[in-house]
Amino acid sequence: MKKPNSLLLTRKRLLAVIIAITFLFCALAGRLFFLQIIKGDFLRGKAAEQWYRDLPLTAPRGNIVDCNGEVLADNRNVYTVYVRPRAVKDFAAVSRALSDAFNLDYDKLYKKLSETFVSEITVMRKVDESVAEKLREQALDGIYFTVDSTRNYPGKNRLEQVLGFTNIDNVGQNGIEGYYDKYLTGVNGIALTETDMQGIQLPSGVTKYIPAVPGCNITLTVDSNIQAFAESAVDGAKTEWNSKSASMIVMDVNTGGILAMASTPSYDNNDPPRDDIDLLNALSKNKMIVDVYEPGSTFKIFTTAIALENGAARESDRFYCPGYRMVDGQRIKCWRSIGHGSQELTEGVKNSCNCVFMDLAQRLGTKKLYDGLHSFGFGSKTNIDFYGESRGILMNEQSVKNVDLARIGFGQAVAVTPLQLITGVCAAVNGGTLYEPYFVSSVDSFDGINVFTRSPKKVRSVISESTSELLRGMLEKVVSEGGGKKAGVAGFTVGGKTGTAQKYENGHIAQGKYISSFVGFAPADNPQYAVLMIVDEPSSYAYYGSIVAAPYAGKVFENIFAYKGMTPKPTEDVKTVIMPELMQMSLTEALRKLKELGLQCEIAGNTDKIIGVLPMPGTQIPEGDVVLIRTEEIEI
Amino acid sequence: MKRKKIPRTIDVMTDRACLKPDYILFAVTMILVVFGIIMVYSASMYSAQKNYGSEYYFMFKQIVGAVLGVIAMTALTFMDYHILGKLRYFILGGSIVLLVLVFIPGIGVENYGARRWINLPFFTLQASEFAKFGFIIFTAFYMAKHHKKMTTFKGVLPVLAVGVLICILIILEPNMSITICMALLMFVMLFVGGMRIKHFLFVGIPAVLAVVVLIFAEPYRLNRLMAFLNPWASPLEEGFQLIQSFYSLGSGGFFGVGLFNSRQKYLFLPFSESDFILSIIGEELGFFGCVVLMAVYVVFIVRAIRIAQNACDRFGCYLASGIAAIIAIQVLVNIAVVTGSIPPTGLPLPFISSGSSSLIVFMGGVGILQSVARRSHKSIKCLA
Repeated sequence: MKKPNSLLLTRKRLLAVIIAITFLFCALAGRLFFLQIIKGDFLRGKAAEQWYRDLPLTAPRGNIVDCNGEVLADNRNVYTVYVRPRAVKDFAAVSRALSDAFNLDYDKLYKKLSETFVSEITVMRKVDESVAEKLREQALDGIYFTVDSTRNYPGKNRLEQVLGFTNIDNVGQNGIEGYYDKYLTGVNGIALTETDMQGIQLPSGVTKYIPAVPGCNITLTVDSNIQAFAESAVDGAKTEWNSKSASMIVMDVNTGGILAMASTPSYDNNDPPRDDIDLLNALSKNKMIVDVYEPGSTFKIFTTAIALENGAARESDRFYCPGYRMVDGQRIKCWRSIGHGSQELTEGVKNSCNCVFMDLAQRLGTKKLYDGLHSFGFGSKTNIDFYGESRGILMNEQSVKNVDLARIGFGQAVAVTPLQLITGVCAAVNGGTLYEPYFVSSVDSFDGINVFTRSPKKVRSVISESTSELLRGMLEKVVSEGGGKKAGVAGFTVGGKTGTAQKYENGHIAQGKYISSFVGFAPADNPQYAVLMIVDEPSSYAYYGSIVAAPYAGKVFENIFAYKGMTPKPTEDVKTVIMPELMQMSLTEALRKLKELGLQCEIAGNTDKIIGVLPMPGTQIPEGDVVLIRTEEIEI
Repeated sequence: MKRKKIPRTIDVMTDRACLKPDYILFAVTMILVVFGIIMVYSASMYSAQKNYGSEYYFMFKQIVGAVLGVIAMTALTFMDYHILGKLRYFILGGSIVLLVLVFIPGIGVENYGARRWINLPFFTLQASEFAKFGFIIFTAFYMAKHHKKMTTFKGVLPVLAVGVLICILIILEPNMSITICMALLMFVMLFVGGMRIKHFLFVGIPAVLAVVVLIFAEPYRLNRLMAFLNPWASPLEEGFQLIQSFYSLGSGGFFGVGLFNSRQKYLFLPFSESDFILSIIGEELGFFGCVVLMAVYVVFIVRAIRIAQNACDRFGCYLASGIAAIIAIQVLVNIAVVTGSIPPTGLPLPFISSGSSSLIVFMGGVGILQSVARRSHKSIKCLA
């Protein structure tokens, strides 16, 4: 029945309450033990993440310098301006200052800053020091700056396509910047600042620094002086011939080092057109490494070299040129439709007679010619330290017919990169050694410790020293007596070969579109420098390499000799002649007249009727110079 | 047993020695209050400097509260607690009026989406703090007067009615945590008062169901509940406070990072000087500090219950148990919230959390305990 509500019951129940409370306290102590001791390290680690604000200390990118130590690429300080909204005291003033400084919309900025929940807003990157300094002077709460470094190319429009550029985050995209990115990139440091929840530094806060390590400096084989010569050459050629583009490579014949590489049009690395990807790709592409072209007559150097090396021809062999060759029933024209008549090999090279090289190629046969071309590096990459290199186009060896073989012999039906061509020419004239071309000669850490030194790398021996010597002699004659005359430098010996190739578009010959080129080396008896000059689509009837490209190569040689302090051999005074009036003559009469005066000529057109000459009659020109006769062109 | 004149007689009979208060309880109380002032300063120095321009802002308020608390405690120690019994309807009525006043604009202050405070010239007063004591005094007197009826369900009803009324008024503020504390207090007092276990179940089960309904009625409560189960699911919203509390406690480890050295108080942990002050204590003084603090509370509670056990009459006994119970409940719920053991609710840690009205009321409660102690059986025994 009913138990009385005794005081004993009250005491018992109070005891029960004490026991229950004590038990609960013990349980909570257990929970605290779990959180503070067992999970302590984990929670402390997570908590520490919010106690510090880390600011990256950007490592400066390494410099790129030329072989004389002249700076080609370095860094300049720019500022990133950002706002921590919770630290802003006067949103109106901050928004006003920022919108004035960066030309931003005041209302939008004000709204963005005052209504956000984000702890940090980046307002502007890559701000110049002067602008940042002005903002800093206003001493507004909530605006913060970080120093950043951005790439700076002191010499504008110089080596853009070689150097490449970096993206907005300073990562190398292409060129040397891209290929050597991991060396140029430094290791970023970090600054850890003790802050409160709002990101404000604690009054007693400590800032810990892990310093940034700058990237390595890179030294190129490029010589800024020679580069300047090359640049003025391509600029001059493009202007004079109103061409689509003009390019030049200068290479050290005995190492494969690139001394200069210039191309126009180009762009400004300090401000690449990042918004227009197609334009950027087109302008920043290094066409001399990435693109192929049909070399034309300059390729005859290799046909000659391979034929001599294989014993397929001797210097004294005679060839007859009637103005064409019949190959497997197909008539392949020589460039001079009236023919060259009977000539020795040396003369054939000097005249650049297509028939001679068709014969040489036929004598060699596909196997030997291809072996030789492969040996010179055609059909494979040169392995230069540059991304995107092309291997060129050689027809499949099995499908080469006699007609193709003949054409390859004088530089048609084959496509090479300008770099492959000049690399091969260096091997042909330096005694027969093919070198791997390269840009970078050494990599050094920011504090001067050498990380990597490049020594010239021999790929293989291509031809014998004697063949090479023979070839040097022949190619010197091209300049001293033949079509390369305009590349000659008084008091020095220069060897070389001109080239004029019709351009193909969509597999067909593009009428009136030519690539005029000249490849040369000097001094001819002991080659040091090789120059390849290419003028793409000169818009002039004067499309011959001898007239368009050779003079600029000659200027560059002349400049290099002067810069290197090489003394010219004393020369007899150059005889000059007066350009005669030829307009009323027939072609045959005109040629006889020019021969009498000791002048050589290129002929544009396929009839006897002369419609123009270059230079103007009455002009004083050196004896032995190359002049141009334009005759009427009729469709056959 | 209904001898209303007993206290007077004892007063007449006893000598000075038998009127001694419980010095240990007094010492423990003062230790907690002083420790509270130090911890309030430590936890709030940065936010006070930032928001009020002085790092001592909360500490000074706490000192003022402590001084007023000492006055209240002393006055109640030397006042016969039976006076409270006589004034029970006045005190209960006043408490309920205060709870209603909270809803009148201009008098009630809204904060964090709840109306809990009454604006006074010097400080804001939390009405529910007084209501708890109004309830304790009323219930203690009722259960003492009708102790024979307490074993019947009918006898329990008036207590339940008053308790539920107060709970409803507090839940309307809304203040979930104090409501739950009130409900727990009511059950503990009824348990001590002799309510039968089957009646407990009869009332308790619907009460638990009511709590569940309340939780599901307001979506934010459900979210808070989920947050407690897995705070990492919403680290920037519901789970934020709890995660920050965990970070504090975890950073403390065994012996803590040292007094005043908390990192979490730099605005990371909201309410670090009030409801979540234990997290800062755990961070600065470690697990060791927390256990010592809990031990001090246990000593306090055991002392208070001993006073209840030795009270000279049922009213004193129930009054003391009620005060012991409300303090124990608040300490346990606060620690449970801070450690993520139960859904988060805003409840101050007695004697330590920043907040004047809470401090004054709890110290007043200690005064009542002392008043009961001074008239205990032991005193009579020592006479005999």
